[in-house]
Amino acid sequence: MGYEAWILLTGSLVGISCGMIGCYLIVRRMVMLADAISHSVLLGIVLAFLVSQSLNSIYMLIGAAVIGLATTIFIQWLYASGVPEDASIGIVFTTLFAIGVILISLFAKDVHLDVNHALMGEIAFVPWNTIVIFGAEIPKATATLLGITVVTLLFIIGLYKELKITSFDAALALTIGLPVTFIHYLLMTMVSLTAVGSFDAVGAILVVAMFVVPGSCAYLLTDRLDAMLAISALVGVLSAVSGYYAALWWDVSISGSMAMMGGVIFLLTWIFSPRYGLISKWKKSSTPLKEQEG
Amino acid sequence: MKYGLKMFAGMLTVAMISACSSDSSSGGSSEDETIKVTTTIAQIGNAVEEIGGEHVEVVSLMGPGIDPHLYQATQSDLKKLQNAEVIFYNGLNLEGQMHEVFENMSDHTPTVAIGDTLPDDVLREDMEDDNKTDPHIWFDIEIWKTAISNITDTLSEEDPAHAEAYQQNEEAYFEELDELHDYAKEQTANIPENQRVLVTAHDAFNYFGNAYDMEVKGLQGLSTDAEYGLADIQDLVGTLVSKNIKAVFIESSVSEKSINAVIKGAEKQGHNVTIGGELYSDAMGEDGTEEGTYIGMYRHNVDTIVKALK
Repeated sequence: MGYEAWILLTGSLVGISCGMIGCYLIVRRMVMLADAISHSVLLGIVLAFLVSQSLNSIYMLIGAAVIGLATTIFIQWLYASGVPEDASIGIVFTTLFAIGVILISLFAKDVHLDVNHALMGEIAFVPWNTIVIFGAEIPKATATLLGITVVTLLFIIGLYKELKITSFDAALALTIGLPVTFIHYLLMTMVSLTAVGSFDAVGAILVVAMFVVPGSCAYLLTDRLDAMLAISALVGVLSAVSGYYAALWWDVSISGSMAMMGGVIFLLTWIFSPRYGLISKWKKSSTPLKEQEG
Repeated sequence: MKYGLKMFAGMLTVAMISACSSDSSSGGSSEDETIKVTTTIAQIGNAVEEIGGEHVEVVSLMGPGIDPHLYQATQSDLKKLQNAEVIFYNGLNLEGQMHEVFENMSDHTPTVAIGDTLPDDVLREDMEDDNKTDPHIWFDIEIWKTAISNITDTLSEEDPAHAEAYQQNEEAYFEELDELHDYAKEQTANIPENQRVLVTAHDAFNYFGNAYDMEVKGLQGLSTDAEYGLADIQDLVGTLVSKNIKAVFIESSVSEKSINAVIKGAEKQGHNVTIGGELYSDAMGEDGTEEGTYIGMYRHNVDTIVKALK
């Protein structure tokens, strides 16, 4: 496969895995979690550096994953104790990020240490950073994302009912004896692993966009969770593919342009969605009441 | 759920088809005899042009005004990497995660980190810690010459037919660099000894200071992305006031906001500091201008510094 194909495939896999997980975050009003993690991982890489005294990417990834997980757990704690979702996200990530900044100025001032360098990947370089798996040479990031996508699919298919009920009706889930808290934490673990793994492969902006935008499009298009998941993944793939060609056209950053195309697709959905779109709303409100009833 | 899975399978097919159909011709076929070279920073690109002359075709990933610490790849960089027959990069952690990519590519394409072969004793570093090596090696001409001689060696290996030409070009270029070095030494000697303090936004000029006997103070750390603390500002202000330094410098690739805080701080203590001018640190000037070449940019820096501090 040529280098274009690897980039398209990698972008599409980010779209599918982050897009599907993002659906659950949207219905739980926690969609900015990915953005929060993209900031709090700074603490992770600083701690990893302080412990290992090395900028090796493996240590950075482990540090980021640990702090990513901690971020989601802290947020879940605060939320469970009654702090609103958005506030708990804001409190946790700003605090962790700030601790990271302070630790850098205290202990690692002379080190070339920043999140962009140490953790965030660049989708443009994906095709050239390869590993050999079963005799085939494939890009490391593509392999990582393939793994993440498979785990995400297994997670969603295996716990489909449980995730659905706990997301939409936690009270009902409790009364029928589902381990609601456990499922919450499991989902949060999935979010942080998906986020950190994808950060390492393709960088922050694309990952955050793919968590938020495809799910939001799907949310405007359907009321069924299964359809929402599928549409979300589809929008993720469309954003990646159209974004790649937009980047080719304008010669700009590939991940930036994939994220931008997500925004364009959302705009179209928002205007034209048959049920919740601007046009259909406008039609509904301009139709005389009698006709609507009749 | 079934409905969802079906759609999902369909979608993956779409992704795969679009992925495969876009499989464009792989570049690298050379109708002409030139070696296609890709470099990260333009400083290295410039050196390759000088040494390779007409036998190479050079493109740089990081053009004028682009801070390598904050570089973002664009679509056309893919082709630059794909078509490259030789890749030169700085190394010493300047290009961050790209190093991993280059090391990986070295299986098919010669990739050379020109800074990585420098002996430890010429590099400014904390001896206990490899991560603290200063990557801005192009600011000491002697060190830079050692680094870019790697270019000559690599080109000669790849293209033995023109090895002699490369050697000659290197000699000619080194002569120019020696002249530049002498010029810089002469000029900086004009600065009164107690004024030889170079205050800049980020720590890029340590090699420069070392070469010309100047004390260097940077507000930010080695990376332009580092945060600076209150103590850093106060520390700098203290130095400016106590040594009665006339000017501080801004950098083409770093915002001047940070250095303004220092100027204001010195003002409060009754010491007037001016901005001595803009120095090229990590990025060179626009293509086609004097400052778009290594020598032009270096000369600009020397002149700016000397004029402001003399």
